Amino acid sequence: MYRTAAKRLLGGGGAFTATRLLRFPKLRSTIIPSYYTSGLCTSSVGGNAESPMGGNQSVNPNQSGHTASSSSTSTGEGPRRDESRKPRAEFQEEQARVLSASLRHVPRLGWTEEAMMAGSRDVGVSPSIVGSFSRKEAALVEFFMDECLQLLMDKIDSGLDLQNLIPSARIAKLIRIRLEMQLPYMSKWPQALSIQAHPLNVATSFKQRAMLVDEVWHAVGDGASDLDWYVKRTILGGVYSTTEIYMLTDDSLEHRDTWAFLDDRVKDAFDLKKSIQEAKYFAQDIGAGVGKSVQGLMNGVMQTMSRRSGGSTF
Amino acid sequence: MALRSVSRRLGSRILNHRSFVASLHSHATSFGFQEVKEEDKSKLVGNVFTNVASSYDIMNDVMSGGLHRLWKERLVGKLSPFAGMKHLDVAGGTGDVAFRIYDAIYSVKRRALQKVDEASLEETQIYVCDINPNMLNVGKQRAAERGLRDNKSLVWVEGNAEALSFDDNSMDGYTIAFGIRNVTHIEKALAEAYRVLKRGGRFLCLELSHVDIPIFKNLYDLYSFQVIPHIGELIAGDRESYQYLVESIRRFPPQEKFASMIADAGFEKVEYENLVGGVVAIHSGIKL
Repeated sequence: MYRTAAKRLLGGGGAFTATRLLRFPKLRSTIIPSYYTSGLCTSSVGGNAESPMGGNQSVNPNQSGHTASSSSTSTGEGPRRDESRKPRAEFQEEQARVLSASLRHVPRLGWTEEAMMAGSRDVGVSPSIVGSFSRKEAALVEFFMDECLQLLMDKIDSGLDLQNLIPSARIAKLIRIRLEMQLPYMSKWPQALSIQAHPLNVATSFKQRAMLVDEVWHAVGDGASDLDWYVKRTILGGVYSTTEIYMLTDDSLEHRDTWAFLDDRVKDAFDLKKSIQEAKYFAQDIGAGVGKSVQGLMNGVMQTMSRRSGGSTF
Repeated sequence: MALRSVSRRLGSRILNHRSFVASLHSHATSFGFQEVKEEDKSKLVGNVFTNVASSYDIMNDVMSGGLHRLWKERLVGKLSPFAGMKHLDVAGGTGDVAFRIYDAIYSVKRRALQKVDEASLEETQIYVCDINPNMLNVGKQRAAERGLRDNKSLVWVEGNAEALSFDDNSMDGYTIAFGIRNVTHIEKALAEAYRVLKRGGRFLCLELSHVDIPIFKNLYDLYSFQVIPHIGELIAGDRESYQYLVESIRRFPPQEKFASMIADAGFEKVEYENLVGGVVAIHSGIKL
């Protein structure tokens, strides 16, 4: 479900259905949300996050999906639409370029405004632009997470040798590939995790992780759409997170310990699945057994009673 | 019957068009609710500020109940000043915004938390531009009181927002707090802002704006037209200037219209944020 959505959005680039912007009231100050927003929404996938906290969507029928050159004006009607779509995309592109350049400075400066300002200088833009990113450091972290997901999807599409492996090994391999993307930033990753855990940012980071987990299951070849879907994704999410945290304190050569840990956790998950199934069958058997014995008992009782009563009528 | 309704609709459409065209010119020829000639407007505004300069800060405090400080804090917060930035504060005569930016950059706490390059700190330039020399003098005085009289980072410049004397692409940030209402041609001021900003530079405008919330709007109007001119008379001894003030707020374009004007000047990512239900609005844009 997420994968197809992700493909459409990331592949579509400036497709207007993907980028509709909603300006959110800042929680801290005494502002009343503007009644005149042109009511456009963004999804968190497009590389930077105007995070939809709560997924509010209000579509202004006049706009019919076309973005205006500003997120707040409703002058995007008519002939302005086409040329105003380009400048809007330009800001997103510019932001992506700055964030991408900032990643190079992260190992030294951390996931901070300084890294982003250094990145903006690299791109040739005034550092003031950093002031306009929403939830500044979170923008950088979320950009990185989106990039890693995109990289993972590209790697899967370009053909990993997954057919010859059993499902648990496939999952382990995919998670390993994804976690290795974080290695260059390992020294500052705890900071990234704390930024993601911040209440303002939790919604977006949760969504990004959900997409990641969904992607992995999709690649492993799972098509289930019943209650199992949630259970599988939750368990895999747990495996991923625990491994990620384990990796933070792993000093072994080439992170061997982390991969061993990962393999163990995946095995546990599958064992858990098997145990649950066994428990289910066991319960069914017992149920059947008890049912049979109760039924046998009831039959015996009925027969005895009928014999006795039959006998007494004589 | 149908004909009458059609003609009424046509009539109102023509009226709307005419009033739309008129409203674009109306700001240039309006001095509060009076109609004046374009050439005269800047002189009249100049007189207002010459009169109020000395009690400008006190009046701000009284009229807004001290809230104007919070609004300016919010403005500077949004700007996210950094060491080494070249910033221009227009119509910032008494230096409120400029001092806050200076503090934000030079505060010891901030320097401790973040790795600030001392050399880049030296390069910081905050220009305060105002058309009225009286307002600038008040600002210079306040700077002296803070011990910043000879500080190289603060530069006081006399100039017109519609024709700035700065180079193209020279500023990282441009702020105008409670000033754009007073310029004769808003479009020109916006165009100048666009010109002097560097690529990636931010435009921020703090201005009194329109309130739409039903009951609050009535209270606000009552306060504006009944209370403020009286306070002006009591404290500053100048009722006329404050009458002009509240009238000019009503004549200024509403939030959406102003945002579209900013976008027309070429700015990207134009947004606005209402404070206190629309009494004040912070508009922002980026030059790309």
